[in-house]
Amino acid sequence: MNFLNLGLGELLGLMGAVSAGVVALYLLDRSKRKQLVSTLRFWAIADVRTELKHRRRIQQPWSLILQLVSLALLLIAIAGPQLGVFDVNGRDHVLVLDTSAWMGSRAGQALLMDQAKASARAYLRSLPNRDRVMLVRADALATPATAFESNRGTVEEAIQQSQPGASALNLRLAFEFADRAQKLQAQRPGEIVFVGAGRVAEEEAALSPLPSNLRVVSVGTAQENIGIRKVGMRRSTADPDSWDIFVAVRNYGTRARTADLGLQFSKAPAGVRRLTLRPGTEEQATFTYRERAAGLLEVRLNVQDSFPQDDRVVVQLPPLVTSRVLIYSNEPQSLRPLFALNSQVEAVFESPERFDPNVKEGVIVLDRFNPPVLPRTSAIWIEPPAAGSPIPVRAKITQASLEKWHPETPLGAGLRTKDVTLESAEVFVSSTGDIVVAEAGGGPVILARAPSTGGPKQVVIGFHPARPSMKYELATPLLIANVLRWMLPGNYRRWEVQAGTVGTVTVPIEANTNPAQIHVLDESNRPLPFTLDADSLHFFSGAPGTVRVQVGDREMVYSLTLPDVAEAVWRAPADVRKGIPRAAAVEAGVTVLWPWLAVLGGLGLLADWLLFGRSRAFRLRAAKMAAPLMQWRKAS
Amino acid sequence: MPEPLLETPLLEKLERLTIQWQKSLPGLVGGHNTSRFAGAGQEFLDHRHFHHGDDLRAVNWRAFLRLEKLFLKMFQLEPRIPVRIMVDISKSMDTGAANKFDYARRLAAALCYVGLVRLDSICLQPFSGKLHDAFLVSGGRHRFQPASNYLAALKSDGRTNFLECARQFISEYPQRGLVLVISDFLDDGECEKPLQYLADFGHELILVQVWADEDREPPWEGELELEDAESGQKVELAFDPDARAQYTAAFDEYAQHVRTVALRNNGRYIGVPTSVPIEQAIFGAMVNSGAVA
Repeated sequence: MNFLNLGLGELLGLMGAVSAGVVALYLLDRSKRKQLVSTLRFWAIADVRTELKHRRRIQQPWSLILQLVSLALLLIAIAGPQLGVFDVNGRDHVLVLDTSAWMGSRAGQALLMDQAKASARAYLRSLPNRDRVMLVRADALATPATAFESNRGTVEEAIQQSQPGASALNLRLAFEFADRAQKLQAQRPGEIVFVGAGRVAEEEAALSPLPSNLRVVSVGTAQENIGIRKVGMRRSTADPDSWDIFVAVRNYGTRARTADLGLQFSKAPAGVRRLTLRPGTEEQATFTYRERAAGLLEVRLNVQDSFPQDDRVVVQLPPLVTSRVLIYSNEPQSLRPLFALNSQVEAVFESPERFDPNVKEGVIVLDRFNPPVLPRTSAIWIEPPAAGSPIPVRAKITQASLEKWHPETPLGAGLRTKDVTLESAEVFVSSTGDIVVAEAGGGPVILARAPSTGGPKQVVIGFHPARPSMKYELATPLLIANVLRWMLPGNYRRWEVQAGTVGTVTVPIEANTNPAQIHVLDESNRPLPFTLDADSLHFFSGAPGTVRVQVGDREMVYSLTLPDVAEAVWRAPADVRKGIPRAAAVEAGVTVLWPWLAVLGGLGLLADWLLFGRSRAFRLRAAKMAAPLMQWRKAS
Repeated sequence: MPEPLLETPLLEKLERLTIQWQKSLPGLVGGHNTSRFAGAGQEFLDHRHFHHGDDLRAVNWRAFLRLEKLFLKMFQLEPRIPVRIMVDISKSMDTGAANKFDYARRLAAALCYVGLVRLDSICLQPFSGKLHDAFLVSGGRHRFQPASNYLAALKSDGRTNFLECARQFISEYPQRGLVLVISDFLDDGECEKPLQYLADFGHELILVQVWADEDREPPWEGELELEDAESGQKVELAFDPDARAQYTAAFDEYAQHVRTVALRNNGRYIGVPTSVPIEQAIFGAMVNSGAVA
């Protein structure tokens, strides 16, 4: 027996105080009231019952006894007495509430989440007061919302505050967590109760083994939904001005659906496609959209279903970045094929006489001349005169064989030639920190220097690349491209934008990528933890947002705003307990007495009111009923 | 200085009222209610034969010239009737949350002022077991203040004895007139017989019964120990809603009995609970009954 955490002595004391109050009120109510009146003539006429002068101290004692007994019964009823095996400690249950993204779907007028909350509260009410409950919110992660709590208000508040998340349900993780919590923290493990729709990934649809003490309270029914699974965008390899857009759409329902997939870039229509999807299948659509500027790309699925959150995606596309390359040359036509065809640079040709020393951005190309002052931005020196070369010229050679490329350097990556004899070339003097790209005549003929202090980069090329010996070599444009990429890394960064679902994201990368070159950053530029496989990178994002993955010159932007809707629905096996138990079932073997005591107490008070209340008719009847009792009392 | 019984705005409203009576009573000239008695009035009433000793000024000389007989013109008398206001000051009047004694004094003051405005002669006669010292006032409204002070100075005392009071009243006031009795009429004896004496003697009765709400419908329930305010007699009893209903019925029956006495003798009856404001009682119940107009 537990009465508001009072012991038996305290309960008896409280009962005594209440009884004393009742007796006092009784005596006060039954005490005579003195009143001065104008006359007594009408009181006799009114046929009022005049009492005997020998009044007893307590009038209507049976009324008092009946009231006291009734109140005692009610107090004991509140105490909740039970007959049978009394479980003092209670049990500890884990209530796993499904807060996956699918719980935000609409079922009739309410959300699935609202139904789940109602079921969870109903389960709470069915438990004995001494049982403790831990609430665990389950989506991709299992997050405990409360410890094992005996205070129902705390648990109900936590249930009320639960909201659908953005990730899919990981049922295995939730059950493992609940099982572990019961083993480590529970005094007497009770049930693990799962309340939710149970929409899980396909590999979890036949989940086993299950906890032996599992109970499942399912909410929701089969609902039709069709939604966007993934959107990917990257600059076209053939045309950097264009975006290749890839959209994956899945039909989660049980019947075939037709939906219009539309694209809008900055509110302007960019494409539309009609898709017909069979039940449980995924369709993909690709679009090509030519755009250099930045803007918002909206992918919308025009369909009516129960889960509209996955029918629309908005991602921000970066602009196509170009930089200015100023080429001072007396023979611009020889260099034009090397620079003007590159879409990531804007090539401007000027004569050496118009050299501008104030240029601070972009790249300057100096074709066989020395400017009066050193450039203030990165520069490519082609066969600079020895007198003013930024890197000292050791020797000038003729008819020299191009001996070696250094493909291990970023500037020499992918470069190779065979049997090339340079008409003439300058051999430079390298120093520490310089990058040697090519060698001839026993020394570097292409050298790069990047000051450690972050100043302008310099590349000197000891021969003219447009001379016949190199003019038709594939290495020549690649060399220029490597140099520009090294000088303007931002222009040559490869952008990939993907809109997907939260949770675990796998990024394909090149094998043997140096982990130091990998950065996974969230919206606030804070690094996120990641793991590496042989050729893939994994990271986890539990909340909607944007994650940037930088691998070398690649930058992949993951806009994780789509809710993760799992493909399958987990059905509990037949031997698992289902539904909300009745309170009596929970208390198997225990007879609850409080309803009977409450009814008896209420009947007692009602009888007192009827027999001894204000009604004269009942009062007279009570007098008749009490007469034999009084005679018996006198006789005794 | 005691607080005035009536406020000035109420007095201003009372100035348009007149105390009315129905009987033709003899009295001095100068009243405002007509009488069937002939006398020195202004309105012509009838002719009669001249008798020796009649006033020659009243002979209709035109009729004499035409008929050669003496006829005397008679005029309708408008006598000045004494108005006597009997105020019950017994202890029973001093019970209840809303004091009947105060109410009765204010009601008497209002009627006194109405009479004075019409130049009536007013006699304020307090009574309980016997008649107490009366206060006679006449001569217009400017004499109201002494009357008001007299009423304010009255104290409740004694047991009501209507029979003794009626006997004394008849012996002290042989001239018939209008008698207003303001009382709760709750004496131990029967008030019917004394009131009938007064009516039989020729007085016109206006009975004003004042009661407190608890006099008519006691609000208490349960075990009561009641004490009679006048006799001090005590009784213990149990009281419930059914008994209250019977009590109220008995009270109403008694009030109807008092009313019957008044109406049977061409008088008027006004019953007012103290919960009704004085102004509403005068301009409502009393005007409707015809006691004042």
